[in-house]
Amino acid sequence: MAEVPLYAYILLSALMFAIGTAGVIIKRNPIIIFMCIELMLNAANLSFLAFAKYHTTPLATTPIEKWNAHMTGQMAVVFVMAVAAAEVAVGLGIIMAIFRLRHDVDIDEMSAMRG
Amino acid sequence: MEFITTPHAEHLPDPVFHWAWLILLAPIVGFLFQAALGRRIELALGKTAGRRLLGFAAVVPVAAGFILSVLLAVRLAGMDEHSRLVITSWFPWIDLQTLLVPFELRLDPLSLTMCLIVTGVGSLIHVYATGYMADDGDYSRFFTYFNLFIAFMLMLAMGNNLPLVFIGWEGVGLCSYLLIGYWYHDIENAKAANKAFIVNRIGDWGFALGIFLLYWVYASNQDLLPLGERRYLSFDVILPLAEQVLAGYGPLIVSVIPLLLFVGAVGKSAQWPLYLWLPDAMAGPTPVSALIHAATMVTAGVYLVARTHVFFELSTLSMAVVAGIGAFTALFAATVAFGQTDIKKVLAYSTVSQLGYMFLACGVGAFGAGMFHVTTHAFFKALLFLGSGAVIVAMSHNQDLRKYGNLRKYIPITCWTMLIGWLAIAGIPPFAGFWSKDEILASAFFSNLVQTPQILWFIGWVTAFLTAGYMTRMMMLTFYGNGERWRTAEAHAHADHSQEHFHADHGAQGEHDLAYFLTDDEVRAIEEEEHEHHHGLTPEHEPREVLPSMWVPLVALAALSLVGGAALSGLNPFAHLLGVHIPHLFEAWNHPSVGLSVLDEASAFRESIAIEWALIGASIGAAVLGIGLFARRYIKGLPESEAEPQGLQRLAGEQWLYDRTMVRLFVDAGGKFANAFYRIFDSGIIDGIFVNGSAKLVGAMGLLLRRSQTGSVRFYALAIAVGVVFALSYVIYTTTR
Repeated sequence: MAEVPLYAYILLSALMFAIGTAGVIIKRNPIIIFMCIELMLNAANLSFLAFAKYHTTPLATTPIEKWNAHMTGQMAVVFVMAVAAAEVAVGLGIIMAIFRLRHDVDIDEMSAMRG
Repeated sequence: MEFITTPHAEHLPDPVFHWAWLILLAPIVGFLFQAALGRRIELALGKTAGRRLLGFAAVVPVAAGFILSVLLAVRLAGMDEHSRLVITSWFPWIDLQTLLVPFELRLDPLSLTMCLIVTGVGSLIHVYATGYMADDGDYSRFFTYFNLFIAFMLMLAMGNNLPLVFIGWEGVGLCSYLLIGYWYHDIENAKAANKAFIVNRIGDWGFALGIFLLYWVYASNQDLLPLGERRYLSFDVILPLAEQVLAGYGPLIVSVIPLLLFVGAVGKSAQWPLYLWLPDAMAGPTPVSALIHAATMVTAGVYLVARTHVFFELSTLSMAVVAGIGAFTALFAATVAFGQTDIKKVLAYSTVSQLGYMFLACGVGAFGAGMFHVTTHAFFKALLFLGSGAVIVAMSHNQDLRKYGNLRKYIPITCWTMLIGWLAIAGIPPFAGFWSKDEILASAFFSNLVQTPQILWFIGWVTAFLTAGYMTRMMMLTFYGNGERWRTAEAHAHADHSQEHFHADHGAQGEHDLAYFLTDDEVRAIEEEEHEHHHGLTPEHEPREVLPSMWVPLVALAALSLVGGAALSGLNPFAHLLGVHIPHLFEAWNHPSVGLSVLDEASAFRESIAIEWALIGASIGAAVLGIGLFARRYIKGLPESEAEPQGLQRLAGEQWLYDRTMVRLFVDAGGKFANAFYRIFDSGIIDGIFVNGSAKLVGAMGLLLRRSQTGSVRFYALAIAVGVVFALSYVIYTTTR
């Protein structure tokens, strides 16, 4: 089975990121926006993993060093997932609070901080 | 400590000259004693005993200084006349590569003359003050300032370099400020103190610039100075070399140096146009007026001119200016004295006028005669001021001449001593004033330094007539006349009284405007003082002679005024004209410092004895005429027309509107200018452009930028995305290029 080339991962990742960005900008429902943000984060994760798979360093000679080089990208993904989970928890909390206050979560209506 | 003497000295000076430091240190110790322990001693020993001790402690240092000064003067007089100069150096004060200012004292006839006047007349006035201030609220504060004043004055007189003289100069100015404002509870007194201080600053400005200029001139002519000499401001370096050093400079520098020094003298010695502060300075207690504003401090200007006379002699212009200002001030102040109704103000203008005489003498080159008049003036003016203080005490602090009359019956000692002072200042022989005034007038007549000096002589002569006139007016209104006017004039007495002492309106609650400045104790003390003084002049008032501590100095000064002038002048010019050779003691003593008398140099003097007799006759005639004319007018008491001065007299009393014009020109206009400057520069440029302008700029930018803060999260997201695109594009562009 032929190996998937790196550019395919990058392309897919970029596509996901673009869809996520567009969603964040155009959607008015904060839940959808969250989903789009998750999409962007996962696009970044995909890039990390792809680079981790293809990344080697000329300095890595022993197997353990090569293994370490691969692991760096994979670790970043774990961190991103942890941060994303925390962000969702906080974000959903905020959304709940706003909803309780205003019975509405349309993001365009939340402009009290307008200058 | 080391000695420096003139090259003429054949032997090392006596170690007794080390004691000169004690003259200076004694009043400093006295000052520290009064300042640190005064109040405690008064609290511990009680008012009577405490004040007796404090008064004693105040007089002793000054009297000790006088005894030492006499001792040193006798030693110095015993030396060869060209070596009468001893300089004792204590420690280097300013030691720079380009300037050395040691702490050094100069003992020569001129400085010892000043020391003798300051400590001699000063100790008499101290004695008087122990009586005059006996009931005042703040005894030790008064003597703290008084001793400090003596210390600074002695530093001024004995300092061998200009910075030391300048310290003394500023120090006496400070003490003058403190003492004029001694009764500071009255805002008028505080204002008078401020006026004196501020007007003196103008003079000090000139003096300081003169010092800087002298430094510049001497420091840039090192090759003319002794090798390695860095004391560019010490008198023994600069005075002998003045002609050599200034020969390399144009008339501008040569004239500007003495003129700047003269600006200082004009301020300190209250000459026109800066005399304004002296009459107001009468707000202080009377011993202050006697000590500072008549006998010593105001003569500092004459001393400075006499000390640096070599610079004045190099510039004809500066001599003419000094003589002109002196003559004009003498005449101007004499006319103003006629319009005064306050006994101390009459004496104040008389002081200004007499100081004018001294500068007239300096301006025609008769520095010795000027210093002689300083000396005799110290005698009789201190006497007159102290006498006026006794009158003021007897009249329960009313100073208005129009309320006096017939006082000779009640205060005979004061009356008789003041009569001597009056004849002395009027210039009647053999009283002290005659000898010096006649010498000044003769010097002015024969001077060869200015063209037609006879004009100066004539102004001086007219002033002599006026002097006799206004002094007669004052004496007659005070001691003679049939009416005891305070008995019939109680309606005014109250209002006039309030000018001298602090008086708030005695409302039901008795609150003071200034009460928030004062502690409760002080407010209580003021109220007590008011009650004490509040009785004012009543028709039943019986004036009483003052205490011995006050009239003994009067008698001593009267004796000096009686014989001092005749003794010091050796009865010259009479002795000389009659062919008897008696040396002019004062000139013989002083001429190593201030040069020979003009009269010795002027050939005309030798040629015509008739002219000199005529001059003497003229000066006695002026005095007699002045006394006679005005005695006739005032002997019967106050003329009706002078109850409120009218016309010319009123105008004269208002200083021919000079003070008012100056206030309008400089104080009011200066205030307006400062206000305008404040509005344009401070408010407009500093506040407007820099402070508020920068804030407004930031604000305006904020107004523009706040439009981007739409509050729409989706807009922010778009902005971030666009920003990231731009940032990334830039990074990629720069890294891949």
